[in-house]
Amino acid sequence: MLRNLRELYQYRALLWSLTLRELRARYRASVLGFLWTFLNPTLLMLAYTLVFGVFMKAQIKHFVYFLFVGLLPWIFFSTSIGVGASAISDRRDLLTKVRFPPQVLPATVVATNLCNYLLSIPLMIALGGYFGIWPSWHVVAYPLVLGLQVVFTLALSYFVSALNVAFRDLQHIIANLLTLWFFVTPVLYSQKDIPERFRSVAIAGNPMAVLVTSYQAIFYEHRLPAGPPLAVVALESLILLWLSSAVFEHRREEFAELV
Amino acid sequence: MSERALPMDAIVIENVTKHFRKSTVQRHHTTLKTEIVRWLRRGRRKLPQMFIQSLNGVTLRIPQGKTMGIIGRNGAGKSTLLKIITGIYSPSSGTVQVNGRISALLDLGAGFHPDFSGRENILINGIILGMSRSEIRGRMQTIIDFSELGDFIDEPVRTYSSGMYMRLAFSVATFVDPDILLVDEILAVGDEHFSRKSKAKMAEFKKSGKTIVLVTHDLATVESWCDLAAWIDQGRICAVGHPREVVSQYRQAVELGEAQLEQPALTAPATLGHPELDASAAAESQEANGVATEPLELKDVQLRDRANRPASTLGPSDSLDVLIDFEATEGLSDIGFSIRIARADGVQVYATSTFNESIQLPNPLPRLGTLRFSIERLGLVDDTYSVEVVAHTESGHEYDSSKGVLSFSIVSNTQETGMVRLLHRWSIESRNDAASDIHPLTGS
Repeated sequence: MLRNLRELYQYRALLWSLTLRELRARYRASVLGFLWTFLNPTLLMLAYTLVFGVFMKAQIKHFVYFLFVGLLPWIFFSTSIGVGASAISDRRDLLTKVRFPPQVLPATVVATNLCNYLLSIPLMIALGGYFGIWPSWHVVAYPLVLGLQVVFTLALSYFVSALNVAFRDLQHIIANLLTLWFFVTPVLYSQKDIPERFRSVAIAGNPMAVLVTSYQAIFYEHRLPAGPPLAVVALESLILLWLSSAVFEHRREEFAELV
Repeated sequence: MSERALPMDAIVIENVTKHFRKSTVQRHHTTLKTEIVRWLRRGRRKLPQMFIQSLNGVTLRIPQGKTMGIIGRNGAGKSTLLKIITGIYSPSSGTVQVNGRISALLDLGAGFHPDFSGRENILINGIILGMSRSEIRGRMQTIIDFSELGDFIDEPVRTYSSGMYMRLAFSVATFVDPDILLVDEILAVGDEHFSRKSKAKMAEFKKSGKTIVLVTHDLATVESWCDLAAWIDQGRICAVGHPREVVSQYRQAVELGEAQLEQPALTAPATLGHPELDASAAAESQEANGVATEPLELKDVQLRDRANRPASTLGPSDSLDVLIDFEATEGLSDIGFSIRIARADGVQVYATSTFNESIQLPNPLPRLGTLRFSIERLGLVDDTYSVEVVAHTESGHEYDSSKGVLSFSIVSNTQETGMVRLLHRWSIESRNDAASDIHPLTGS
């Protein structure tokens, strides 16, 4: 894990250049490009608001804002994993011609989506402002929660991108699993809607549920997120990062031959 | 073999083997689905793995500042060897030690991201090769100018023609200032103009004492250009040493192989193969043999200009003297010298010999002496040229030669093209009077 992270640090200029390039490509056509980035979350938000807020009359105040608070970090996570799965297997051109540090590729996907997420935060705050909800001092916990999510996302994307080189159908399986994962994570509903006897299991067994409910605690409920579940997620993320780095290191020798 | 790890060698390859799984070579990607089905059907028994042996115990040393040509049939393992030196593949066993920054031109192109512009790809490749962002920015314009891509530099690389792709790849690989350049069959690509330009760049590289490893099927280039050659077949080194000898061994083996098509395996005759010898040791042993067996040895060959100074850069109409110091055994009579001048790309410009011109050498030859070959006026255009001297008998048996050692460049400020600068002058005749005047014209 340390070797992996040290090399990532060593190639930070490369990571930075690649990320900057991805972002620049996306925001090139200034206004339109910027809006395009938010089209996906906005459309999703509109659809979910229509179904769950209007048709099914969710008992959540300011449902649109609540949805946004959880949906944005979820999109950061799911896009990183979904796109990250093929980050290495799609780059035959780079990996077979030069000695390219492969861990930079999934890291670039995570970094790019992190930037996109951060850029959409003002939109979320503006939406909250529309409902008269402004961020409180509880945002001090936000960097910690976000940091945990970055570690967890990076670890998982190392894992899937390394395995996808050998098992090419993994990326499609991942896409389906992510949909399933989305519905067991309290983004569309509040964790209070989960029947009491499943609630602790459903949250504790799903790191993303802990993270999403923590975001909701900070921005929607204006309280500090619960500490112990986050500590567990921190531990899980570090173990996962250690494991996935080991898998990645074990497999990287084969990347150039297999892609 | 005691100096094995000296930094004198740019690349030290020790007993490297490389095998690929058969499934990998045939690009059968396993899917999780098939893997799970197999697991359910047969339990956890593993399928027997089929391996393809690509390199089979290769030991090779490439000395610093030398140009080594690697030859061999298709599929002999040449490109795999280059990829292992570069570090793209890791050897299955054995070690590779590389001293210095390495830059490679493999197959058709460098590691380019097809969606990125040429400029972005230059940046990425520069970083991978160990340059800082500011260093690359400093050289960016030089690289773009050399590649002659113009406005295309900001277009995605996938829109490039193969020639443009190659030009960019060559420009990046050479301008990142590597100590070692690996080239895999690249010089043949590109138009006439760029091909000449890239050859001149390679010659400049060679001259500045950088190490070059060249994989090629162009045997003439290996003979005229390389200091050393290695012949690989079936993942083994068959011969290492003087390019002419290695190439002739290879040619013999190819002819042998063609004659006996039912036996497609090419193997070097047992007496010729030196698989354990590394390049420099092979060269040394040849020198040792030369002293012991050949009746004439070229002690030193030098190029001199009009003022008898060592010549390296000359004008198109300068004179050039080739000084050949030799040592012969007593009473040697059947001996002559050939001189061959070739352009950097291997094209022969001129060749002659004392036999061709019926030059009477002192008979017998003095034991120690210097032969001077004087060219009054070179008459060549801008390029780099190599000079080769061979001492041989009238029937062609070679005693000694000085290949791949001597070169000079022609630099002029005119834009003349072609192979030679023909001796000429311009003049104009006015015919409006009864008597015609002839005015010789002179350049500025």
